[in-house]
Amino acid sequence: MNGTLGHTGVLLGFAAALVGIVVLLVGLVRRRPGGLRAGRFYAPLILLGGIVAVVAMQRALITHDFSLTYVADNNSRSTPLLYSITGMWSALAGSILLWGLILGIYATGMVWRFRHRADDQLVAWATLVMYVVCAFFFGLMLGPADPFTHVSSVPLDGLGPNVLLQDNPLVLFHPPMLYLGLVGFTVPFAFAVASLVTGRVDEDWQGETRRWTLFAWTFLTIGIVLGAWWSYQVLGWGGFWAWDPVENASLMPWLVGTAYLHSVMVQQRRGLLRVWNLSLVIATFSLTILGTFLTRSGVIQSVHAFSTSSIGPLLLGFFGLVLAVGVGLIAWRGDRLRSPGGIDSPMSREGAFLANNLLFVLFAFIVLLGTVFPLLYEAVNSGAQVAVGAPYFNRLIIPIGLGLLFLMAVAPALPWRKSTAEIMRGRLAVPAAIGVLVVVGCVIGGITGIEPLLAFGLGAFAAASAGRALVLSVRGAWRSARGAGASPARATLAGWRGFVGRANGGMVVHIGVVLIAVGLAAATAFGQRGTVVLAPGESGTFAGHTVEFVGTRVVRTPSHLSQQALLRVDGGAVFTPAISQFGTGTQAVGTPAIDSSVTSDVYLTINSIPAKGGPWTFGVVVQPLVMWLWVGGVLIVVGSILSAVPGRRRRPTDPVSTPVGAAAPPVAPDLDPEPEPGARTDREPVGAGEAT
Amino acid sequence: MTGVLPPDTATAPPTTRPARRRHTARWVAVTVLVVAAGLIAVLATRQPAAVSEVQSPLVGTQAPPVRGLTVDGRAFALARPPGTFVVLNFFAPWCEPCQAEGPELVHFAFEHQQAGDAKMVSVVFDDSASDARSYQATLGATWPTLADPQGTIALSYGVRAPPSTFLIAPDGRVVAYIVAPVTAADLDGLIARARATGA
Amino acid sequence: MRSRRFPLWTLLAVVLVAALLVGSGAFSSTPPTSAQRAASIESVIRCPSCEDLSVADSSAPTAVTVRSTVRQLVDHGLTDSQIEDYLVARYGSAIVLDPPTSGWSSLVWVLPIAGGVIAVAVLAAVLARRRRRSGPSLDDDVLVPAADPVAVEERRRFLTQSLADADAEYLAGDLTDADYLSLRQRDLARLVALGPAPAAPATPTDWATPTAWADPEPVSGGPGREGSAGSAGSAASAASATVTAERSGTPLEPDRSDRVDRSVPRRRGRNKWFLVGAIGCFVVALVVAVPLFASHRLPGQTATGSVALSPSQQVARTLDQAATVENQGQLGLAAQLYQQVLTAHPDNEVALAQLGWLEYKIGQQGSDATLLADARTKLTQAVAMTPGDYAAHLYLGTLLLQLDGNASAAVSQFDQFLADSPPSTVVGQAATVLRQAYTSAGMAVPAEVAA
Repeated sequence: MNGTLGHTGVLLGFAAALVGIVVLLVGLVRRRPGGLRAGRFYAPLILLGGIVAVVAMQRALITHDFSLTYVADNNSRSTPLLYSITGMWSALAGSILLWGLILGIYATGMVWRFRHRADDQLVAWATLVMYVVCAFFFGLMLGPADPFTHVSSVPLDGLGPNVLLQDNPLVLFHPPMLYLGLVGFTVPFAFAVASLVTGRVDEDWQGETRRWTLFAWTFLTIGIVLGAWWSYQVLGWGGFWAWDPVENASLMPWLVGTAYLHSVMVQQRRGLLRVWNLSLVIATFSLTILGTFLTRSGVIQSVHAFSTSSIGPLLLGFFGLVLAVGVGLIAWRGDRLRSPGGIDSPMSREGAFLANNLLFVLFAFIVLLGTVFPLLYEAVNSGAQVAVGAPYFNRLIIPIGLGLLFLMAVAPALPWRKSTAEIMRGRLAVPAAIGVLVVVGCVIGGITGIEPLLAFGLGAFAAASAGRALVLSVRGAWRSARGAGASPARATLAGWRGFVGRANGGMVVHIGVVLIAVGLAAATAFGQRGTVVLAPGESGTFAGHTVEFVGTRVVRTPSHLSQQALLRVDGGAVFTPAISQFGTGTQAVGTPAIDSSVTSDVYLTINSIPAKGGPWTFGVVVQPLVMWLWVGGVLIVVGSILSAVPGRRRRPTDPVSTPVGAAAPPVAPDLDPEPEPGARTDREPVGAGEAT
Repeated sequence: MTGVLPPDTATAPPTTRPARRRHTARWVAVTVLVVAAGLIAVLATRQPAAVSEVQSPLVGTQAPPVRGLTVDGRAFALARPPGTFVVLNFFAPWCEPCQAEGPELVHFAFEHQQAGDAKMVSVVFDDSASDARSYQATLGATWPTLADPQGTIALSYGVRAPPSTFLIAPDGRVVAYIVAPVTAADLDGLIARARATGA
Repeated sequence: MRSRRFPLWTLLAVVLVAALLVGSGAFSSTPPTSAQRAASIESVIRCPSCEDLSVADSSAPTAVTVRSTVRQLVDHGLTDSQIEDYLVARYGSAIVLDPPTSGWSSLVWVLPIAGGVIAVAVLAAVLARRRRRSGPSLDDDVLVPAADPVAVEERRRFLTQSLADADAEYLAGDLTDADYLSLRQRDLARLVALGPAPAAPATPTDWATPTAWADPEPVSGGPGREGSAGSAGSAASAASATVTAERSGTPLEPDRSDRVDRSVPRRRGRNKWFLVGAIGCFVVALVVAVPLFASHRLPGQTATGSVALSPSQQVARTLDQAATVENQGQLGLAAQLYQQVLTAHPDNEVALAQLGWLEYKIGQQGSDATLLADARTKLTQAVAMTPGDYAAHLYLGTLLLQLDGNASAAVSQFDQFLADSPPSTVVGQAATVLRQAYTSAGMAVPAEVAA
């Protein structure tokens, strides 16, 4: 029953996508707006197909229907409900199912959002591209990645999910968030292709889809941060980023997507960099497909990789197709569609955004090169192998990171068009002083190492610069409230407006990034690892923290059996690292326990349990400022949400700074421009934000 | 806009140049496509990582010494040169492919025990001697099994994961390295090949 | 331009450099201790049994071994590269996480650095070129073919917008006087060089501002008003939208869009298309789905997929499951399943024999005499029930040999076992026991066993 239902859902989605493609093609080629308008109804059908298939799979998982191969391999009778639900995306075929569902959601959302313009050729082309991507992924589910295949003989009990995937509830959030992010980049890509095909690159399609891109980017950020947090909480080695190929696969689209989010502001403001932005969008989407390929094809060994199957060549072929179409379109039309102007001066916000793009693209290139280089090397020197790991990435990326911190500090104060050293010196004096003070303070406090010191100093500089921008914007909001006649108290409250809007949300995001950078620098430069051997009742010290072995405990539940050690850290709370065995498997999995505080984390694991009574060996990792990473991640998300809230309805074309007193025009200090006569007020520009 | 300009510039003819269009985007795009095609070609021809061969730098060199206590507590040292073919097998009781390969090793050992031309030696990888002893007993393995509690023998042979099997020629050279479960037929074939190439 | 400036930035620079010098340890250079050396080497050696971690990070036993070896070697006085070579000679070159800087693998270092240098150089060249040729010529930024009216119009719009932009920024204090004047001069000249604007425009769009720029003085115009396509006079420029977010993207502009066929009445067309398409979808889904899964049914599975087995199918399935479970090593669970079958069907010989064998195995492990006795009873029963079953003979013979040491009785069972034509794989698996029995009984090992 579940298998049939699932197959029907997948088939419905696939057929709807195919028919939608045909209808739209006919409508576009034969110029029938009726066809274009009809074409949008297939997106809800695709979504319906996806929902039916997901419902079937969840029903099979929750009721432990072992007649499906997927359920027999990834579920067992002793699996708790939560991990039965998450079992849907624990293995390859189910993850494609989740991908298909999210594609359906985005396609339906896009069609609904642009429903009033359905007979616009550009929207139709974009919908067509979405349908093609949907058809591909649903088609995968009909062939090599079929989640609803049947077993030949129904087993009594299934194998259960991978032990590492039933250790922590984060598995409920991390993959869906990640997929919401990765899949979300399909929409801007669809519009980019449509722009190129129709030649209408000078209209603000990139700006209109900016919110979509930001949405996808936010979820991708959440997904990556959650992944790092999960790695930290579960895997037991005390780190959060191993430059694993699968981790890199999610990082590359994020980097290029961040570059795009910045340079699209240049396009909205000055109309420049049109073709470059289109290239960035195409690159982002291509990298998501490449990442999917790397994760699922098995060509690269990884702890996260799904099992191999014949899906690899198909994904690689799709990657080639996406690249051929996207880059081919740029080759064909790119030169004709270039912006009519250029950047006036390198010392301007445009220049800073260009430099930002350069650094991010270089960053993504390094990650890509490092990930695929072992394969390339092996192809050229058959037999010989080389490994590319954390030392390589760290060495090359630290200078880039420092450069990005510097840009983050300077750019918020840089005006558009052209600036002078005078103006910049004046604006950045206080933030720079704060940065230098922080460096001096760290040196006095005994911190050594040029890289951490630079990171702390530049981070403080960047945070202070972002703070300055926020202060100015809050003050501007206050002033305009006063100018409109509000009392001082109400005007203070109205200062909240200084935090919303594109630029201000962006400043909050920058502060979050600074926190992450500082946390990374501190944890990697000053982390210490060691082992402590303790008999029950003994105490030991490591890196300035005392660990007391209070006792042991054995916990038995239907799903797992774990041996726990009770450790008291610094005379305070008790933490319980454990070694557990799940379900029917005999493989034991270690679970760490973490004493987190704002200043440092003490990370405890059980390394070995003696067979008979004797001392236990515990691993201890002490890393400063790890919590700043997670707080920074939260701030980034908060900032993105703030940036999506419409600001004071300013146009992105307004200048950087609020008018200075001397040159204030003789009009009312209300800074809101009056609406133009006849302006359509029901079509607020999507990209308008606080242009402070 | 035009109304505010000085009159003479307004009447000057616009400067015309022959239309020259830069093709930067096209060239960059073509380069990207070419590079991407190369990358796709490489990726398409890769074997799954789990299957691909791993070379050992020891093949062709003298085998590092194998000595230590067996799981029964006796001292054992492999003679250098050993004088016969030696199959050195790294295993672990918790490793499933090792469990699959166990009966094959027993078969091989029994076969060559009579002929006397090949010996089996096992080394425990990352497990206790007692677990290994009971595992070998259940399997019916009668050849020497070294305990290697510090993992030094595994390190000297560059063993990453069990099962790993080395074939050592009578003159002490390492002639083959298999990092997957072996069958008796595999081992026989390797011995035959080593003999043919003049071991 | 103040007469006495506080040299803040100089001061900051000096303090920063001093602090960094002190902090980077340039003044307190002690040679790294052996622990530090070992730690730095460990951070580039990969843990042999992990995927991405270094031996410094991992707590796997192989990593522990490598770490202690590294420390020993450091204490012996080997250099860093000698220690790396030592490990590479054993594990292969992929044990080092830092790719070597020689040979093909140097590309992984060279390419990013080269890429960065090239990109910076290109950027600098492009920007320098723009600045050098900042005259009013046409091929300043982008070459615009004079004969392409659309491109010229686009350029005109851009320049108009840029001028408005510059005004607003000057007012806001972002541009110095000199910069503002030079930008304005340049863009005005370029605008003039484009030639006169075309006469009659298309429909002025909604946001065309009627206020013209009254004078060319720098301090004019209201803030923000020029944010849209506010160009004086030339409504043509105002008609075509600029790249502001106010562009709504509606109705295809007549001068650049494709002709839209509006002759088909809308509503009917839409319904027809959709209905046809939707019906098509469902038909395809059903037509493909029905035969697809109709072929994939398990024994006893009905059309909707639920499985209802006949009693003999159920027995077969349970035995199957029990065998699988037994192979996985869960003897207790397997015994339960066999017992299930036996309770329902006491005459099922297969269950009887298998259960007896299981009890023997479990009894052996736990040295449980009762179980062993029960096993013996069951196996004897099984042998009596079905003399033609080779498995029961094999089991009983093994039991007799190993428990009683009765080689001759075992041999008689094994003779019957061999006579029942067992598959050769089973013979192979049992070969050791068989040989033992025959040799202990002093008899020749039969040919098929020795094979």
